[in-house]
Amino acid sequence: MSISGVKLLRSYLITKSNLYELLERISERNKLYAPLRHGDQVVLDLAKSINDILIDYIGHSTLPLKKILIPPREILYEYWIEKKSVTINDNLDKIASERIVIFGIRACDIKSIEILDKVFLREFHDPYYKKRRENTVIIGLTCVSPDKNCFCYFTRSGPEITSGYDLLLTKINEHYLVDVGSEKGESIIISNKELFSDATPESLEVKARIVKETIIKIKDKNDLPFFNEVYDQLVKRFDSREWKEISSLCLSCGKCNFVCPTCTCFDIIDEFDPIRNRGKRIRVWDSCHFLSFTRVASGEIFRKDRSSRIKQRIYHKIVYSVNDIGTISCTGCGRCIEVCPVGIDIREIVRNLAR
Amino acid sequence: MKNPYLPELARIINFRDETPDTRTFEIEPISNDEIRGMPGQFVEVMVFGYGEAPFSISGIRNHPIELTVRRIGTVTNALFKLSQGDIVGVRGPFGRGWPLEKLFNKNILIIAGGIGLAPLRPLIHFIINNRYRFGNVDLLYGARTPELLLYKDELERWSREINVHLTVDKPEPEWRGRVGVVTILFDEIDIDPSSTIALQCGPPIMMHFVTRKLRELGFSDNNIYLSLERLMKCGMGMCGKCTVSGTYVCLNGPVFQCREIRGFIERVPEIGE
Repeated sequence: MSISGVKLLRSYLITKSNLYELLERISERNKLYAPLRHGDQVVLDLAKSINDILIDYIGHSTLPLKKILIPPREILYEYWIEKKSVTINDNLDKIASERIVIFGIRACDIKSIEILDKVFLREFHDPYYKKRRENTVIIGLTCVSPDKNCFCYFTRSGPEITSGYDLLLTKINEHYLVDVGSEKGESIIISNKELFSDATPESLEVKARIVKETIIKIKDKNDLPFFNEVYDQLVKRFDSREWKEISSLCLSCGKCNFVCPTCTCFDIIDEFDPIRNRGKRIRVWDSCHFLSFTRVASGEIFRKDRSSRIKQRIYHKIVYSVNDIGTISCTGCGRCIEVCPVGIDIREIVRNLAR
Repeated sequence: MKNPYLPELARIINFRDETPDTRTFEIEPISNDEIRGMPGQFVEVMVFGYGEAPFSISGIRNHPIELTVRRIGTVTNALFKLSQGDIVGVRGPFGRGWPLEKLFNKNILIIAGGIGLAPLRPLIHFIINNRYRFGNVDLLYGARTPELLLYKDELERWSREINVHLTVDKPEPEWRGRVGVVTILFDEIDIDPSSTIALQCGPPIMMHFVTRKLRELGFSDNNIYLSLERLMKCGMGMCGKCTVSGTYVCLNGPVFQCREIRGFIERVPEIGE
């Protein structure tokens, strides 16, 4: 359907059993990542059996979507040295051409893709990210049961999301409403037509009601300003004494960085086998909380003070990202709050500084 | 599109020692492609078997580019073990260099400390080669000892075209010049801050005092430029290590107008008040 060049993306309904059938079909031809149970955690991982996939779960996975698009450890290239020559093998060629489908992620992670794209596909294109990104289909799952640390409503990244996915599922009674977000998504519908029926006006109303209810759940647990509206206050309070207090707790462990869907800073390390004269350049996740993060050759460290490092992360999310890519880069998932061993809470920090 | 993480293979054509711990390498891609660097830009050099590090370009006059390297860490120590004809990898050039177009018909004041003269050398060459396009040109250069002054024979040649003022922290017996930090050299120059552009590179503490001195003399932040040293790992605005107040030094620097830095909310020691 097309009216004056604007493609109208439609909505459909699918039953739970047809959804499992769809996932089964998808997993035959794609690497299917989905939320899985691992002890008391929900992890986003390769689904070996469709029956393991969690469709109704609370909150979000422990690690965000970035672990698939920018793996924690990734070989960029390998090389070997022979006499007076060096041969380089780009690992890009090895990134599987097989398609990736990521199922079941929440708005907070879907929103993160927009931010990752702005970092990895701008003046320079990161070819490793780009290749995975192009090969990836996103099937989101609207969150109806936010966790105690979720606050996506206040970062304006959820619980409702209207772009960034190929398909978005929302549980409507015994069905799932399927919103199409792209042509890739539409083509999944077309090639599995018999599993879907057209969405009813009532189902769209139910979705709107469910989203409202979820917002109320989030608001009940949080009394926060909108994070995209606190820029000026945070800028003004960069030198506030409160930072000393906040950072006196911080252990600089970097966990908040590693679980954050939009913390993308990385290091590139070297491995070399002197017997076979072969080496690897490996990209690994890094943390702005580590003292070594800003150390230059002369030994100078530009963020020696712990408060300067904790500020780096918070200001990156709420101030620097706005300057750099035009949007805040906190998606309100609350993972950093969950994992912090000393209970540092970005919500409290922002609430206090924005006052 | 070419993968910007892959280095281009290049050969060490030649090298010469500048000081006991500093060496200038001439490097040329084996493909014979030219590395078209601008004064103030940097490249990433991969020493296979050891790792990669950023270096400012210290010479672009000839076909091979020149890099002046101080032996200080793993990569540079490994680089010093290489000889003529050996292979390294090069990525770049990256970044924004000195604002050449803003310098024409102006008086130029260049302030350098130690290895900080390296990224300024291509600019000095450019000025000397186009000498008539610039007004008075002064170079204030300080090093720890006379032995550690870079480009000693060139300093002599430069002094025929521009005013070269030298100082050292610790003199040796035969040293006849000034002794003290680089800011003491300001008493040798007579400048009009409104028609002069100041360009500096050196240790943060030097730039801190030089910037302060320049402002005392009446320089506007618009006419002061600094080259910042940060950890530019990827060089492409992604890895995040070089950011200052959220600005990527690798993309938007390493050369900044002092006014830009003044607008940062994160403290920058190089201009700290």
